[in-house]
Amino acid sequence: MNWLQVILTVVTIGSIFSVVTLALNLQYARGGMINFGVVAYFAAGAYIYAIFTHPAPEGLDQYIIGLDWPWWAGFIAAGIASLLFAVLTGWPTLRLRGEYLAVTTFAFAEVLYSFLLNERRIGNGAVGLSNIERPIRDWGTIDEKYIFAIVAVALMFLTAWIFRKLLNSPYGRALDAIRDDEGAAQAIGKSAKRMRLQVFLLSAIPIGFAGALYAMYMTLVSPRLFTAEVSFIVWIALVLGGERTIWGAMAGTFGLILLEEVITSLPFESVSAAQNAAAMNHVVTGLLFIAVLRWQPFEWISKKLEKK
Amino acid sequence: MKKLLQVSNVTKQFGGLRAIGGYNGLSFDVDPGSFTGLIGPNGSGKSTIFNLLSGFLKPNSGSIVFDGNDITTAPPEAISERGLARTFQTPRTFSSLTVIDNVIVGADNPGERLRFSWTGKWRNQEAELKHEAVEIFGRVGLSHRVNDRVGDLSGGELRMLEVARQMIRKPKLILLDEPTAGVDPKLQQNLADLLIAIHRKGTTIIVVEHNLHFLLDLVDNLLVINRGELLAKGSPEEIRSNPEVVSAYLGGQDAAQSYKN
Repeated sequence: MNWLQVILTVVTIGSIFSVVTLALNLQYARGGMINFGVVAYFAAGAYIYAIFTHPAPEGLDQYIIGLDWPWWAGFIAAGIASLLFAVLTGWPTLRLRGEYLAVTTFAFAEVLYSFLLNERRIGNGAVGLSNIERPIRDWGTIDEKYIFAIVAVALMFLTAWIFRKLLNSPYGRALDAIRDDEGAAQAIGKSAKRMRLQVFLLSAIPIGFAGALYAMYMTLVSPRLFTAEVSFIVWIALVLGGERTIWGAMAGTFGLILLEEVITSLPFESVSAAQNAAAMNHVVTGLLFIAVLRWQPFEWISKKLEKK
Repeated sequence: MKKLLQVSNVTKQFGGLRAIGGYNGLSFDVDPGSFTGLIGPNGSGKSTIFNLLSGFLKPNSGSIVFDGNDITTAPPEAISERGLARTFQTPRTFSSLTVIDNVIVGADNPGERLRFSWTGKWRNQEAELKHEAVEIFGRVGLSHRVNDRVGDLSGGELRMLEVARQMIRKPKLILLDEPTAGVDPKLQQNLADLLIAIHRKGTTIIVVEHNLHFLLDLVDNLLVINRGELLAKGSPEEIRSNPEVVSAYLGGQDAAQSYKN
């Protein structure tokens, strides 16, 4: 087992998913919005990055648009695409409360998933787009995989820093007021509708960037990378880390990704051993989940960190 | 004199039943600088009237004009921004904020704009607002509670907190829904002093209250509501001697006597 490789993967994937967890933390823990379709914004970013940077179709390709633009144009487009998808989905739904919003966002994500799966002209349907442009070559003597990890970590910290500034300002306080009691907040002139939409749109942008980074890292976009499981992983990470803390959101995500990566990178002698390990992965995740909910270690750690 | 609040022929139905307005609709107006008591039996529609005025309910017909602006269909936050403040019958506070933040958040704070949150421009206002909030706490008698969690406050203290949160908005008109319910005599005295002080500064006040001993010392006129309709209006003396009010609300002649000073 190559520990360095495992650590690098955990850092890169963990950082990418942490961005999504941070966005969800903003939406749910502060904005009071339950988004069970968070994967859709992630997928929108990834697919738009792929479409913008992919060369024009040829031979057996079924997709019809490949703009072959440089990576940075695709990266920016990914953020914008996620934002636009948030406008499209947020505008009509954000007046819904609690579980109704949860169901609606989940449905949006499922619609997008089945659209990507069945409309082959977008991204080759189930096959997906492979050989996604990877802009980062080796920089001097530094290997590409380190650069990737660094970029992912940087995106994570940038997102965390911006959200933190936002939430520690009077804006964050007004947002808390709206989540605690919408009517009472309206009675002191806070527009719940406006602020909720702002938060929803704002948090979608880094999800789009994370999606683009994920597409670069995997060099592949395909519907099966963007199933509802992604939404649930992010939600579990948020619950593990404890709501309302930025460090907690990151700690929860890293804990979860670490567990998955360690199990998948264990060397197995046979197929059945690998299958057992995959099954055990779920059991261990479940047990860990119960243990964490009982003792809330990440929340404790992150509170310690934030006090400093 | 120009009226601060004009309610004209307002009706409100709930599921086909007319809760407010009766046949002709409810009409009344409020002078700027007045101190009005809104009284009536339980279920007569006092809180519904407050909800209509503050935009939490929309009337089925009629119009409401506040400070020269038609607010009949305006959303609550827009009405609040025009200077109409209200409290709720059961105190509503923000449980995740500290006591002082519960008051500061009440202000119309330019620092709450999204674009200011990154620049740190809000910091100057913050100090000012904090200072203002502390001063208000002194007046409502909650100074010792400033840094506590809202969950630690008693029912009466929550009520004062809600009043304090509206005070920092410096409203033109404040609607108080049963401000003395569950408040001990000492805090009630604080509240009365506070209301007299803000009234002297020119704030118009409408208060729903069942505690007539508290109310009649403060207000300069009364509106009596019964079954969603205006039963009577006038000075406290006139209301006390109005036979309809005496039978519908005060509970007979003997009870009415006890409210004489």
